[in-house]
Order: sequence, then C-alpha cells, then structure tokens
Amino acid sequence: MFSDVNWTVFFMQLFFGLALGSIFVLLASGLSIIYGLLDVVNFAHGTFAMLGAYAVFVAVSLSGSFAVGIISAVAIVALIGVLVELFLLKPLYGKDPLLPLLLTFGLSVAVPDLVKIVFGLTGKPVAYPEGLSGATLAGPLILSNYRLFIIVFTLVILISLWLFLKKSDLGMIIRAATRDSLMVQVLGTNTSRIWTIGFALGTGLAALAGAIAVPMLAATPDMGVEMTMTAFVVTVVGGLGSLGGAIVGGLLIGVIVAFTSLVAGEYSNVAMYFCMAVILLIRPRGLFGESGRE
Amino acid sequence: MLLRTEGICKHFGGLRAVDGVDFTLKEGQLKSIIGPNGAGKTTLFNLIAGVYRPTAGKVFFRDRDITRLSLHQTSRLGITKTYQITQIFPGLTVFENVRIAAQSRVSAFNFWRSTHSFAPLNERALEILRQVELLEKRNWLASTLSHGERRYLEIGIALATEPQVLLLDEPTAGMSVAETAMCAGLIRRLNRELRLSIVLVEHDMSVVMGISEEILVLNEGRVLAEGTPREVSDNREVQRVYLGEEKYA
Amino acid sequence: MTEPIESRETMLRDVNAKPRSTVVWAAALVLAALPLVISVPLATDILIWGIFGMGFNLLLGYTGVLSFGHAAYFGLGAYASGLAMRYWGAGIWAAIAAGVAAPMLLACFIGALAIRRRGVYFAMISLAFGQMLFFLALSPLKHITRGEDGLTHIPLAEVFSLPLHKPVPIYYFIFAITTVMLYMTWRILESPFGRLLRAFRENEERAKACGYNTTLVKFFTLVLSALYGGLAGALNMLYLNYVPLTTLFWLTSGTIVMMTILGGKGTFLGPLVGAAVFLFLQNTISLWTPRWELFVGAIFVAIILAFPGGIMGTIRTIVNNRKTARLQKRAPAVPSEG
Repeated sequence: MFSDVNWTVFFMQLFFGLALGSIFVLLASGLSIIYGLLDVVNFAHGTFAMLGAYAVFVAVSLSGSFAVGIISAVAIVALIGVLVELFLLKPLYGKDPLLPLLLTFGLSVAVPDLVKIVFGLTGKPVAYPEGLSGATLAGPLILSNYRLFIIVFTLVILISLWLFLKKSDLGMIIRAATRDSLMVQVLGTNTSRIWTIGFALGTGLAALAGAIAVPMLAATPDMGVEMTMTAFVVTVVGGLGSLGGAIVGGLLIGVIVAFTSLVAGEYSNVAMYFCMAVILLIRPRGLFGESGRE
Repeated sequence: MLLRTEGICKHFGGLRAVDGVDFTLKEGQLKSIIGPNGAGKTTLFNLIAGVYRPTAGKVFFRDRDITRLSLHQTSRLGITKTYQITQIFPGLTVFENVRIAAQSRVSAFNFWRSTHSFAPLNERALEILRQVELLEKRNWLASTLSHGERRYLEIGIALATEPQVLLLDEPTAGMSVAETAMCAGLIRRLNRELRLSIVLVEHDMSVVMGISEEILVLNEGRVLAEGTPREVSDNREVQRVYLGEEKYA
Repeated sequence: MTEPIESRETMLRDVNAKPRSTVVWAAALVLAALPLVISVPLATDILIWGIFGMGFNLLLGYTGVLSFGHAAYFGLGAYASGLAMRYWGAGIWAAIAAGVAAPMLLACFIGALAIRRRGVYFAMISLAFGQMLFFLALSPLKHITRGEDGLTHIPLAEVFSLPLHKPVPIYYFIFAITTVMLYMTWRILESPFGRLLRAFRENEERAKACGYNTTLVKFFTLVLSALYGGLAGALNMLYLNYVPLTTLFWLTSGTIVMMTILGGKGTFLGPLVGAAVFLFLQNTISLWTPRWELFVGAIFVAIILAFPGGIMGTIRTIVNNRKTARLQKRAPAVPSEG
C-alpha cells in the first residue's frame, strides 16, 4: 500500500530526524564527558549552547563569516566554561554531589536574564551561510543543504573527538580520569587541570550544538532550558556517562521527534519523554549505561 | 553452624578479590580474619552482609540461604557490620545514634506516635551507651567525639540492632595503643558476657592473637590457613606471607 | 570511669525530653499576623509555597532525594481539583481530595520507575517527567486543560459561607490548612519515621546497615511530598480561581528547589522562611526591573557556594556549636579512661 510519495515522506522525515538528532548528539556528548570526568550533571548545559548561539550571532554580524562565527562561539563559551569550573564548581568538589547540579541550575536561571538585558527579548536570527542555503535533489528527495551540512559536520566532529580521546596523550589521560581519577593522580598528573579541560571541552561541544542550530532556530534567551531537557532525556535514554549512548540516544530521539511531528504534531514535544519512560521501564540504566553507574 | 560460606567468589573485572572461600562461624565463637592488604577481607565481609552479590558461591545463616539478601535484610536477620571508615550519624546526638539503631527492630513506619513514648527503646539505648562507655557524652553531637569514641559509638550502634553475629571491620584502626587495648577488652567482653558471635577483621596482631578463638588467614582472595592462634602463628606459609609485613604487627 | 550519680529517670528525661510543639504554634502566630505587615496576596503566596516547600523539604532535606520535577505534583494538584470543580461540579473538599490523590498516584508511578536510581539520575528523570506533564497539558490535552490559556471558568467556592474569592477569607482559610500541615509535619518529624528521616539525612548507608529499607523510605517520602505538593496546587487553584499553565512549568520546580535551599533544607521552618524570603525578594526586585531571575539566580548561586545550609541551616549550625562548646566546658577536657 506504500506509494512512492509515502516513501519519499518517510525518507525526508528520517533525514530531518537525523539532522535534528545530530544536534542532540553534540549536546549530549558534551554532557556525558562532563559527567564522566567530574561527576557533575551540568544543568546549565543548554545555557552554554544558548550562549554559543548568541556568540555566532555577534561574530557573524561583525565578520560576515559563519565559519568565524562557529569558531569564536566555541572559543568564547569554552573560556566561560573554564571560568565557571575554576571559580564556581571547584569549591564544591568533595562535598554533597548534588551541589554542582544545583549551582549550574542557578546559572541556568540567572544567565538567560542577563542575555535578555544585553540582547533584548526577541530572537536573533542568523542567515544560512552562503553555499549552504539551497537544497540538493537526490531522486525524489529534496535535501536541504544546511541539514546535510549538520549531519556531515557532526560526523567530522565525532570522528575528531574519537581520535583525540583514543590517540592523543591528553585524550588518553582524560579517558583514564573518566574511569578513575585516583589512578591519574597516582600517575602524577594534575587532575584538577584535566577537570578544567574536560569542562571546557563539554561546554565547547554544547556551544557547537547551539551554533549550528542557530540558522534554523534563531538565538533566543530561553532556548537553553529546552536544550538542557533534551540533553537530559538523551542521556537517560543512552546511559549516563557513555559517549556511544549519547550518539545512539541523540539520533534515536531526533528521529522520534521528527516522525511524531509528522504523524501527530501535537505530541511532538511529549514523544521524547514517553520514549524515556519506556526505556526506563525495560532497561533502567539506559541503552549503553554500565550497570552500577545508574 | 551459625554462619557459613560455600566457595564464595567476587570478581571485579579481572581482579579476583575473593576466590572460592569457605568460611564458617560457630555459635558464640570469636573468629578473626587476617591477611595482607588486598587479601579480600573487607570484600568477604561485604559478601556476607549483602553489600555485594557474589560472582559465585553461597552464604548461609543458620542453614538458610541468604546469598541474595541485601544489606538491610541481613541486618534484620541479625548480621550487623561496622565499617573500616567510621560510619555514624554525625549531626545527631550520641544517644540518638544508638536509639535510631535500636528503633530499627521495632517500628520504622510509624508516622504519628512520638518517640518519647517508646520507653523500652530509650532504656535500651542508655544501657548500650553504658556498655560502650559513652554514657557521659550522651547529649553530645556525634561529630564532636574523638576518633576512638566514634569507633566505640559505631560498635554501640551495631549492638543496638540486637545482632546475632557482629562483623567488625578493623575496629581499632587509628586508635592509640591504650585505646586499642581497651577496645580489645570490650570486644572480648561482648563475646564472653553477652555471648555474641563475632567476626573480626584486624591488622593489629596483638589484638588478634590475644582474643580470637580461631583465625582464618586470607591471601589474594584464597584461604591460606585456618586454626587456633597458636596453629596459625606456627604455620610456615603464614610466616612466609607475613615476613615482609612485620611492620603491621 | 566515675559512675554517673544521676538516676535513670533523670537521664531518660535529659536525653529524650518530651517534644514540645511550641515552634508550631509560634510559627502559626506569626503567619496569622502576616497580613498586617505585608500585602495579603504576598502573604497568601507565602503560605501556598510554604506548604509545597514543607513536603519538598521532607524529600530533599531528609532523604537527600532531589526532585527537579515537583511542578508535576503542584500542577497536577491544581488541574485535578480545578477540573473536578469545573466539569463535575465537585465541592471544595472533594476538589481538594482529588488534588491530593492524583499527584500521590503519579508519585507512586514515578517512584516505582526511578527512585532506585542514583541522586543525579533521579533529578534528571523527575525533570523529564515534569516536562512531559507540561507538554501534555499544553497541546494533546488542550481540549480539557485549555492549553496555554490555563483552566478558567472554575465556579467560585464557599466554605462555611465564607466567600473564598475575597482575599482575606481565602488567606485565613489557607492559613488554617497551613497550620494543620505544620502540626502534621512536626508530628511526623517527632515520630519514629521522622527520627529515621533525620538519621537518613546524616548517613544513608549507616541507616541501611541498621536494617532500614532505604529504598522504601525514599519511595514513601516521595509520595508524602506529593501530598503536600498536590494540596498546595489545589489551594493555589482556589486562591486564583484559575489554573495557569505555568503551574506545570519547569521554573515552578526550580522555584521550590531554590526556596527550600535558601531557607535551609532539612530544617523544620526552612521551607516557610525560604518561601517568605524568596517571594519578598522577587516582589521587591520586580518593582524596579522585570529581570528578577538574574538576581534571584545569582543569590542562589552565592548561597550554594557560601551557605549550602541556607538560612535556618546556618542558624542551626551556630546554635549547635554553642551547645557543643557548653557541653565541652562542663565535661573533662580529656576523654575519661579506665
């Protein structure tokens, strides 16, 4: 009974879902790296993504180049991340493990208001970068160039991240510290610096997610909390502290959101939470979560 | 037999922390477990008490299989453990620390009656504080006690749960020589006067040799030797393992 | 060791004095006089959030479980009672009962699913469930909940022929319920279960080793706190004669977290004090800038860094230190030996 048109719609929606999911993957992998290294659930994760989106807006309006925008977004937000880790999170290590979560929650309440004061309440749109605005025809499918770019770009970032963690010295130390920070201390590495770097890396990834999303969404002060929620759902579905879980969870949630908005539009916001509840019922630790980590 | 493990194993990834140990404890016995660092003593405790699930093997308490019970369930059966690193309720008074443990045997889910009206519990808590010599400091916050007093308090908490078996994990750790001797005396009294069955993990050889009826020696997760203090100290294998560790004694 | 000369009776009295409910009645007295000092709407908000906070504090302050989705219970309480009055013509007491029962059922469901998870995990999961309810009310259930407009056309309520839509009568109606809840909370905290909660706050692992089923305690407390949340939601509905969608918004969850921490988690009066200070700050800052969240958020961050015990927690620490110093002065400096 499936006509060609139905299949076209199916693949189009799958494509939308993968593009959306790619943004979720970047978000959630940043959250996972931070949790794995610092044992901190970063409630302000989406807030950092929002700051990334605004940084793109500012940099693009100054330089006119989207590439400059992305690079400066990551640099600026990672720097903010360093400052937050050094001055706000560091004093809380070794105390009640809920305190960092509460602190970053406080940031996610305060910072959007600061952005409202500086940039106003209305969203700040960023045009599609030149050369990525049109669409590509693939048979009956019309694939937006920008969404294609998002998927490829995310893939490139993930491969670089993987190479960095597997091959570089720093990456190996980060992986070791993720398993057991005591061991790294024994090896004589300064763990507190590793934690700062890890937090900068995680917030940098969040900024990247915000930056590549901004041409589709426009930067708004309140976009951060939505992104935090999504990142949380993806991490619960994929398994906390697992990079593989962030990737599979992110794509899964992206595709689910895309298909529900096609089939039952009014449920599109609810779908991912239902998906999370179902996963919790059948596999409480998430798809890729290690047992005992939950 | 009061307590018995059968070929019990616990592996953490590649590490065989406990590897096929048969352990037995008779009613009223005071038995020590010794061994070098990392021999698996604390892990064995945690397996018996239900903190960990064993990789293989079984635990029996009065011939009942308790392998799959969790910590709070074994505690209800009468197996109570103390911790290597003192675990007390720091922000509560000394009295309340013991009273809350005694209460666990009576009523946890009572939402309305005042604890004031549970007189026997309060009496019992005072009696235990007398036994562990903390009666004078009953109104102090537990966090303000000295290290040695905290260890006593932890024993008091354990006693308040009316244990049949007491698992003591290095009770004298960090104590001065005088405090250690007193603590050994207390453990012996608990065993002889209250007829408590006790399993003791201890580094201090003078304590172990002085008060244990039997000793089990673990090394790398396996049983190296078992017997009376005399037999164990004469054992060549044990001497070999402990030779380089004389400083512990 | 010198044998204490005190008799057993004096000793018992001294360690376990009969608890006095003075604190409850003193707090009630202050609340009764509140509308004389501040505006009645502000005072009403303090009561509603205070009830909500009392329940939230039982969970966060004592069992250490952080729920970031408590708006679900507050909002569900408001909607359930509001819907009962609007569609089924329920009376005020039946509506309140519905507003309490529905959130408790929801808490049973969420608790069964997630209460075993580690602290941060539970925080994330509860937040997600809160969002689920928000979005459900926003669009799929719009034909019942009226979506973004909020639930209106709720019949005006009367109790003992008091018109509850007038500010002062509704204040004293909610005040009466607040007093009952304060007394109930106090009774619970003095009961064996409450003593267990205090021990739990200090050391969960030790409580477990004493034979307490800690998972069950957390579950029970979650359901109990949903009772408070639902009640507060239902009272909020009666007060506003309206259920705004924001009752389910994540910031409602965030607000109760901030109030409880600000006032002092794990203290009896903390949630009330926290609600009062928070709402007072919010009202005052709103007078000269709409960006009150910036200031409240910044203050919250500062509290987390400098006084994680909050207002009442910090006071308790000071009082405890004094008491300890007094006891140490009385006792011999060196622990008695022999």
